[in-house]
Amino acid sequence: MAYFLRRFAHMLFVLWAVATILFFMFRLMPGTPLAAFIDNTTTAEQQAALIAQFGLDKPLGEQYWLFLTNLMQGDLGQSFFFKKPVVEVVMEVFPNSVILTLASLIIAYAFGIVAGAYLAWRRGSWVEGLGIPLVLTTRAAPEFWLGMVLLAFFSFHLGWFPSGGANSSGSDWSSDWQRVTSLDYLSHLFLPAITLAIYLQGLPLLLMRSNMLNVLQEEFITMARMKGLSTWTIVMRHAARNALLPVATAFALGIGGAVGGNVVVETVFSWPGIGRLLVNAVSASDYPLAQGAFLMITAVLVVMNFIADVTYHLLDPRVRIATR
Amino acid sequence: MLLNSKGLLRATIAAVTTAAIVVGSLPAAAESGDPIRKLTLISRAQAANPQQFQAAELIAQAWQQLGLDVEVQGMPRPQQSDAVWYNRDTWDLTMWQMAGRPERSDPDELIYNLFHSTTVESGYNFVGYVNPNYDDIAEKQRVTANRADRKVLIDQLQDIINEDQVYAFLVHPLQTFAFDKTVWDAGTTIEQPGLGIKNFWTFSNIEPLGAQKDMILNSSDELNAINPFYISGATDSWITELIWDRMMRIGPSGLAEPWAAETVTWAEDAKSVTITLRDGMMWHDGTPVTAEDVVFSFTAPVKFAPMYKPFVDGIANIEVVDASTIRFDLTTPNAAFETSTLAKLNLVPKHIWEPLLAALREGESAESVLEQSRIGSGPFKFNRWATQQEVVLDANATHWAAPKMERWILRIVLNVEATLGMLRSGELNFLSDYTGDPVLLIEASEADGDLTVVESVDIGFQYLAFNLRRPPFDDAAFRRALSAAINRELIRKAAYNGFAVTSNSVVSPALSFWHKAGIEAELDTGMDLAKSILADAGYVVVDGKLHYPTGKTEPFAN
Repeated sequence: MAYFLRRFAHMLFVLWAVATILFFMFRLMPGTPLAAFIDNTTTAEQQAALIAQFGLDKPLGEQYWLFLTNLMQGDLGQSFFFKKPVVEVVMEVFPNSVILTLASLIIAYAFGIVAGAYLAWRRGSWVEGLGIPLVLTTRAAPEFWLGMVLLAFFSFHLGWFPSGGANSSGSDWSSDWQRVTSLDYLSHLFLPAITLAIYLQGLPLLLMRSNMLNVLQEEFITMARMKGLSTWTIVMRHAARNALLPVATAFALGIGGAVGGNVVVETVFSWPGIGRLLVNAVSASDYPLAQGAFLMITAVLVVMNFIADVTYHLLDPRVRIATR
Repeated sequence: MLLNSKGLLRATIAAVTTAAIVVGSLPAAAESGDPIRKLTLISRAQAANPQQFQAAELIAQAWQQLGLDVEVQGMPRPQQSDAVWYNRDTWDLTMWQMAGRPERSDPDELIYNLFHSTTVESGYNFVGYVNPNYDDIAEKQRVTANRADRKVLIDQLQDIINEDQVYAFLVHPLQTFAFDKTVWDAGTTIEQPGLGIKNFWTFSNIEPLGAQKDMILNSSDELNAINPFYISGATDSWITELIWDRMMRIGPSGLAEPWAAETVTWAEDAKSVTITLRDGMMWHDGTPVTAEDVVFSFTAPVKFAPMYKPFVDGIANIEVVDASTIRFDLTTPNAAFETSTLAKLNLVPKHIWEPLLAALREGESAESVLEQSRIGSGPFKFNRWATQQEVVLDANATHWAAPKMERWILRIVLNVEATLGMLRSGELNFLSDYTGDPVLLIEASEADGDLTVVESVDIGFQYLAFNLRRPPFDDAAFRRALSAAINRELIRKAAYNGFAVTSNSVVSPALSFWHKAGIEAELDTGMDLAKSILADAGYVVVDGKLHYPTGKTEPFAN
């Protein structure tokens, strides 16, 4: 219990530290939020009014205090641009980012685990000779290029999938749940998720393969072979289960890392997501929105990290003993 | 002393040159001023605006031949704006652009704001041009009601700018639009000079041919606001002008035409104008549009809409004469009033906005109000806006100019290449924002067969701005020489792929009445000419580096 509490306090500290760094980073960065309003702000008087409206005329210390107290109450402020509460703006696109990330991670990890285990089993064969360079190549291919190739082929050429957005234009839905579970949404999700999955599969595959190579040296595998079990049973039931733990950790961290890191895929496929929101907010110096979006991403990452640690603690007795 | 081979070479050349000068007894080098510092030319980053960046590179190369050391620095738009607009003393040269808008169909907005001395400090005159003679004529054209007389003044202003080369104008780009001619009747699109077929008139007139009655168009910019008192970017203005009516609208001719106004009658002295409101107008919530609403729409901006305030400042008084007649009294006669005010301000329902504005705190404006019903009286009604995805407007069937389409759906598509794919697959049926290579669009349309591509000259223009606050750009001769050294034809062909016309005026040739015919030809260009202008003005090349005239020092030595 003490461990959980300590770990939880640690998580809160990280969130506070990130929030503080974000706050000062945006305000000390060169550039002014006025630059984005250039066509409108023609007089010095109007510029001063905008600065006051944004609360940027107050001393930095006071701004920081306001920011922290509001944050405690779950209030991330109001976006300079959208004139809406940051939470509302972020939550409008956040589910899309989570769905895209989860879908691609699941595809990437399911494929990576199976293929990684298989490649370890076929170590030294021509399959490995072909497979590893192929994995490394797709891992290294730029996402936008991969996205464009898939778009050009499956969408422009074959016409199987739509070329952008999350839903068909002008489509009406009775609820968000109905919208994201519709065939329409899934067909829009397919190409971006596959692009991201191809980009992400390298890590679980190589991780799984190297773990498997270790596990396959162990005596219980030799034992299983002696018992005359089938290859599939040995690889999947006995070896893979033991090699899976580090991959599970990587999955949890991958969620946090990928939620905010999909800017490129979101742009190529015009997918409404938090990465695009963030880029837009930073380039327009929309401090509250940029802070909010960053903080949201950090929160997911930190929470996922926490969950990974805690699960590890529960699953692996060796970790549990070491932390005592 | 350590000398590398380059330094040695340079020293030798200097010695030889000096010797030659001594021998020829030409005192030039000895009498020159300081060498001109290394100059920085700011541009949008290559990835964001490849045409502009390439034009900047071509210009920098040309100027090197004059003995200048010019570095092109690409940066994102906010950073560029920050340097150029908010730190006006800090930059030398920048690539810049003015966008085409319906209100800019009248030359006043650009010709007055860009060069009048009152906007030097924080307004549009960011280059710092001060010319009392220009100010006088610019003010005079505002109060000249007779079009032919005013045209003479507008021509004079274009001549002054040409003479002084305040900007080095480069090109008016050609805008390209496309639509699916199996979905839309090509004969029902309307071309507005300087804006192309993507305009209010096309949207309210275009007729569907078959079952697809929704127009699906695109924007490559993220949308920030839909607010009748606040335009945050070009894309919002397409939407607001469809939802909210205006007293007048800029017609396909480029002139303001009565719209919500039945009649617009000017008094003899051109200082007051009487308007009768069209009969039977309704807000989208079913309440009638009244004269009180009109008064509210033109008075609220004074206090609550900073970006519209300049356009109502000239109104001294608004009087409701009877239920459908309103009289505007102006402080001075204003020739641009119809275009810059009556055709610009949105008619806003008082019953919705008055309580919202009354609740604002000190320092807040209508810009910070998020009014989600977006009720107007225009030919389209607001349906919904999904962030980063789309805006859906429904046709207002009871409007006197009811659109023939059913819905107007604007998709946010960031990927330029994808817009072409979408246009061919039918995911878009009207390409309203295309920033890619026009050649690719034309090829796509030829391969497809169902698409029509329409090009038109922009009201807007691309140019290079000199910072007149900083020598040597305060010298008109120096600017003329630099401008003469630019090969605009090369920029048109190489950077814009031929999809542009060369420019030498703030008034686009698309505005055929106001544009001074032949002003492009009045600007003589060529490298030799540039060199001779510099030599005549006393600038000297020493060691391959351009120096100021005698007695002038470099105030910003690196």
